[in-house]
Amino acid sequence: MLITLDLNDAHPLHEQVAGAIRRAIGDGSYGQGDRLPPARDLAEALGINVNTVLRALRELRDEGLLEFRRGRGVSVASRADGHALLVQRTRELLEEARRYGYRRDDLIKILEALP
Amino acid sequence: MTARLFGAVWGLALTAALVWSPLALRDRLPDPLATHWAERADGYASLTAYAVTTALAWTVIWVVLLAVHLHGRALERSAGRAVWWASLVGAGVLMVGISLTTLYANLDQVVWNAAELPGWLALAAVVAALGAGAAAGLLGKGAKDPVPPAGERPPALRLRKGQRAVWVSRAGSGAVLAASFLGALTVLGMAVLAYLGILPGAPWAVLVAVGTLGLLAGLFSSAVTVRVTEGGVALAFGPFGWPVRRIDLSKIEKAWSEERRPSEVGGWGFRGVPGAAVIMMRAGECLVLRYHTGGRLLVSVDDAASGAALVNALVERKAA
Repeated sequence: MLITLDLNDAHPLHEQVAGAIRRAIGDGSYGQGDRLPPARDLAEALGINVNTVLRALRELRDEGLLEFRRGRGVSVASRADGHALLVQRTRELLEEARRYGYRRDDLIKILEALP
Repeated sequence: MTARLFGAVWGLALTAALVWSPLALRDRLPDPLATHWAERADGYASLTAYAVTTALAWTVIWVVLLAVHLHGRALERSAGRAVWWASLVGAGVLMVGISLTTLYANLDQVVWNAAELPGWLALAAVVAALGAGAAAGLLGKGAKDPVPPAGERPPALRLRKGQRAVWVSRAGSGAVLAASFLGALTVLGMAVLAYLGILPGAPWAVLVAVGTLGLLAGLFSSAVTVRVTEGGVALAFGPFGWPVRRIDLSKIEKAWSEERRPSEVGGWGFRGVPGAAVIMMRAGECLVLRYHTGGRLLVSVDDAASGAALVNALVERKAA
């Protein structure tokens, strides 16, 4: 699991961790049913609090991307695939649009105008 | 003819032969007939039991081999095909050979313990089976395996300033763990028997030491966690992530990922010589690190391409 944090980024760390995991699932590095590394290992490697990683994992579980199983740790949910990538890309697109002064509605209009 | 069709026909034909031959010779055989020889005949079975047992023994082998063919991926590789064909033909010839020599020894005898089995005949059955198996293996191994592309280029990764990137992944082997538990259990069981005096002459303390060492070695080689950070590459062994081996980034020239199988690197676990070390948990994706000294380390781990990309990016950033 490759996780990149941007220390200058204004987004909270747990959101950045969640985004990195979404990207790993979306680009196929982690497929359905694959087990994620333990949160403790990820937190130690990143040098952040384990609760931050756990918060990201819980968010992704609530999105339906991850499954928590007793004794099996955390794994990629069986129905997660391209959807994860799309959500992540759209999220990034929305942020970029805001940086240029566009709002969500403007973006939807742009999408609708596309063939 | 496909392997599956041959396997099915071959298996059915041999089963039929194993059942039919003793029944066809029924008038010239004693009942019960001799089935085991030490120096002279010392074991016997009724004719029906004998026919059923030999046929059943073969059927089990045959069904297992067919199941391997239907469900396993063992036949995708040349070595796997050779072993499958050698087992199918070799085991079949051995079963028929044993059956025929047994029947020959019993032929025209009145009682089972008069039957004599010439040693050369038993040997001939084994030699024929080995020969047939080897020939089938040679014929059945088919095309050579495609050589895996050496040094597959990992995806490029660009790290921006102020970015902290890490990669954590693992690989484990339930088979190694199960095998070491089973082995240790056997040795420790022997130690208990030796301690109780049921296995006289066995040094129980040595057995305990060997069993414990085996169990520990199995535990530590049953899983590996690889962590790539700015501080370098860390390999943590075993289910508890200890011991840890750290490799400084400055030692690493570059990294890539490869598909490797235990049979290509000499088996499971830790192997190799200094300069070409291997940590193999399971077949599949492996991370390869090449050192500036020219040595390399291969470790089987999931998602190795991402790990290799990060190692390269970090090495590049450090050099810059």
